[in-house]
Amino acid sequence: MKAFVAFFKKEFTESLRSYRLVVLAVVFIFLGVLSPLVAKLMPELFSGVDLGGGIVITAPQPTAMDSWTQFFGNVGQMGMLALIITFSGIMAGELSRGTLINLLTKGMPRHTVIISKFLFASALWTVSYLLCLGICFAYTEYFWPQAALSNAMPAFLSLWIFGELLITLLIFGGTLFGNLYGSLLLCLGPILALTLLNIIPAMQAYNPISLAGNTINLLDGSKEIADFLPAMLITGGMTVVLLVMSIVVFNKKQV
Amino acid sequence: MEVLQEYLPFLLPVFVIQLGLMIAALIHIFRHQTYRVGNRVIWVVVCVLVNIIGPVLYFAIGRGDE
Repeated sequence: MKAFVAFFKKEFTESLRSYRLVVLAVVFIFLGVLSPLVAKLMPELFSGVDLGGGIVITAPQPTAMDSWTQFFGNVGQMGMLALIITFSGIMAGELSRGTLINLLTKGMPRHTVIISKFLFASALWTVSYLLCLGICFAYTEYFWPQAALSNAMPAFLSLWIFGELLITLLIFGGTLFGNLYGSLLLCLGPILALTLLNIIPAMQAYNPISLAGNTINLLDGSKEIADFLPAMLITGGMTVVLLVMSIVVFNKKQV
Repeated sequence: MEVLQEYLPFLLPVFVIQLGLMIAALIHIFRHQTYRVGNRVIWVVVCVLVNIIGPVLYFAIGRGDE
């Protein structure tokens, strides 16, 4: 426990000095402000534009759902990209620089390294995500008061679970290959594969990638929680398995 | 134009965040000589032209170890 607390503190200081904490927070605050704003401004920008020949674009009035569509689109793509970029070196950096050698030879348990890294990254991701969600919610409430949201909790939770999966993928990749490129490869490879798999309609209910973008369907009520439950369980299961595998690999790895 | 003025209080934070991150990255770039990947010209161009993701990329990948 003592080792865990010490390493957790060290992770905090590291992310402060490597700007990881600030950058991630700023990006998610940005996305939180941007999403409702784009939804609100989009029709204003397009309306009244004369395409020539008397064709004028008339855009429908934006609703709160447009704002949440923007939110899921932005956080599901740009937010996840920012998450991958900032956490890509979380394990790989330490291994390639050899900064863990001293700690491990002084008797720090290896699983503590993985677990505290995972928990710290999760904490950072959770806080940034909540910040983004809170800001987006406040703006949306301001622009469109009392908008009805169905299944809000599972819809927002699913995006969070997907972020956790990305973090464990990066930790596993970093542990396995010991460098930045391996870590990125092992994160982007599966995402690409899952995106391709998503073309098959039968797979969509089980595909973790559907948690990153499709959960807007939960909010407007066009889909049920049951449609996403298998994907959520699979993603959660994958996260645990990858975490255990990272510990197993790290236990056998020569640092 | 009046539409823009109406939303200025909301657009401003977005603009400030974007500009702030870019300036922070640029200051860091010009204060340091060596980078893990790439060189000064590449990072200045990336940070100025690719909004948000550019500075994030620099801080995550380009920044050298002190």
